[in-house]
Amino acid sequence: MQMCVDPDGLAGLSWWLCYLTTNTHYSFYLSFGTILILIFLCAPVVMVLGFAGALSRRSRFLPLRTVGLIYTSMVRGVPDIVFFMFVPIAMDQAIEAIRHKVKCPEVTAPIFQGNDFVVCTAAKMPLSATDQWVHEIYGFFLALVAFAIVFGAFAANTLHGALAAVPKNQLETARAYGMSEKQVFWRIHLPQMWRYALPGLSNLWMILIKATPLLFLLGVEDAVYWAGALGASKTQIYDFPHGDWRIWYFSALLIFYLLLTSVSERFFKWLTLKVTREHNLNTDDLSSGVTA
Amino acid sequence: MKVNNSNLDFDSNATDSESERAAVAPVVCLENIHKQFGSLEVLKGIDLKASAGEVISLIGSSGSGKSTLLRCANLLEVPQDGEIIFEGEPIIWSGSGFSRKPSDNDQVRKLRTNLSMVFQQFNLWAHLTILENVIEAPVTVLGRDPLQSAAFGLELLEKVGIGDKSDAYPSQLSGGQQQRAAIARALAMEPRAILFDEPTSALDPELEAEVVRVIKSLADEGRTMIIVTHDMKLAREVANQSIFLHQGLIEEQGDPEELFGNPKSERLQQFLSATASV
Repeated sequence: MQMCVDPDGLAGLSWWLCYLTTNTHYSFYLSFGTILILIFLCAPVVMVLGFAGALSRRSRFLPLRTVGLIYTSMVRGVPDIVFFMFVPIAMDQAIEAIRHKVKCPEVTAPIFQGNDFVVCTAAKMPLSATDQWVHEIYGFFLALVAFAIVFGAFAANTLHGALAAVPKNQLETARAYGMSEKQVFWRIHLPQMWRYALPGLSNLWMILIKATPLLFLLGVEDAVYWAGALGASKTQIYDFPHGDWRIWYFSALLIFYLLLTSVSERFFKWLTLKVTREHNLNTDDLSSGVTA
Repeated sequence: MKVNNSNLDFDSNATDSESERAAVAPVVCLENIHKQFGSLEVLKGIDLKASAGEVISLIGSSGSGKSTLLRCANLLEVPQDGEIIFEGEPIIWSGSGFSRKPSDNDQVRKLRTNLSMVFQQFNLWAHLTILENVIEAPVTVLGRDPLQSAAFGLELLEKVGIGDKSDAYPSQLSGGQQQRAAIARALAMEPRAILFDEPTSALDPELEAEVVRVIKSLADEGRTMIIVTHDMKLAREVANQSIFLHQGLIEEQGDPEELFGNPKSERLQQFLSATASV
């Protein structure tokens, strides 16, 4: 805005208008979008990995079953934060190492030199010359994969338990009526699984939302980073000097997360009701059924 | 009502209506069925033949193997030895002993779609409405037209007296209504025979009566049925052949009036006096 060019002369409402529309503030606002993008991109991938893990654990084929078991128990047995730190680094280095082998076959020096990980410039991912935003997207992508792998394993556990919770006689009856194993799974097993999976999945969604500040750990400049940076006291050398306002910035963050979780909670309540409406033994329904 | 009174020895014989049927193989025939769970031998060589229109009641104390025998007929349990012959076509096996299993899936499906099962705990699919329960297998397994199946399904629900419950979910129905819905589901397959596994055992007497009424009307229609039951009245009145199992073997079998009125074996006498006193 034109008037914001000279912030020193501003007061009152126009000072606030200019202060809240600085570039750094826009980055702060965008970081909320990043959180939403992360969780909404993550959720479908988590479900895919969850089903893959759960179904492979149920597989009759031993190697597949073993892979499923290793995946779920490894993630379960290792602190989340370790995984969040490990996966992006490991993936980044794996990708660059492969690119190094392909793009610079003439370089004979080892990739690991002492404590350093060295690849040729052409193997860098993304290339050093690319724009900053490409680096940011790539970093975000690695973070997304880390989230998906960790939460996919939790989802696999939930789904595995839910599949096992469907009463055996429901499946046996389907077989007794000539359904193939595939039909039993798609027509009976899967639809009945949701009511057992939903409480766990909604819990997982909440944990996923609350884990998003970990993006900070992975070098993504997220809302927590900006709240700290913008809230810190600014001396007169800044355009908009102010005292320590972190309490307000973190309050905004608090409200954002509370809103997000409460909306989610309401959604899952509605979904649970929808899924269990039919086959939850409701005492009112039952008694009216008996007298009818 | 008693369609096939005189075949104590299972031989098809004499009367005119039966000579027609004699040309046709029995609907289901079990020969020398052996079934073991681990080291527990539940069935020790049982023969059973259900001809078209015949109603067989299987009685015996808990653990005598009657439910297991019924489940073998539908291949929910795989017998380690013995033959299952559906309309003259024996099930083809692969492997032997505990690894024995039917080798032809199409054959298993044919058997199962033609022998509909009614379970003690009803086992209606909890996520489907009553009508959806009834048309599920005809549509998905037999590939019938959904609309025609729905019309037929409604007819069947009317017939068992719960036409008004077609849109309800199983949990909204009483036990008796659920079991009648399960019978409608069995009928919707237009099976060659219906297998009842203690259909009234989970019901209190009032609800039991409505289910018994439906089963009797099915017997009157000349449907082929095998009924495992603890209800001696049902076993006696509906069946034209009764079989008493004891410790995995057939102890006594024959015309129900004869079997219940004049039991020959000591085991059956004990069993009947014990159940009568309850």
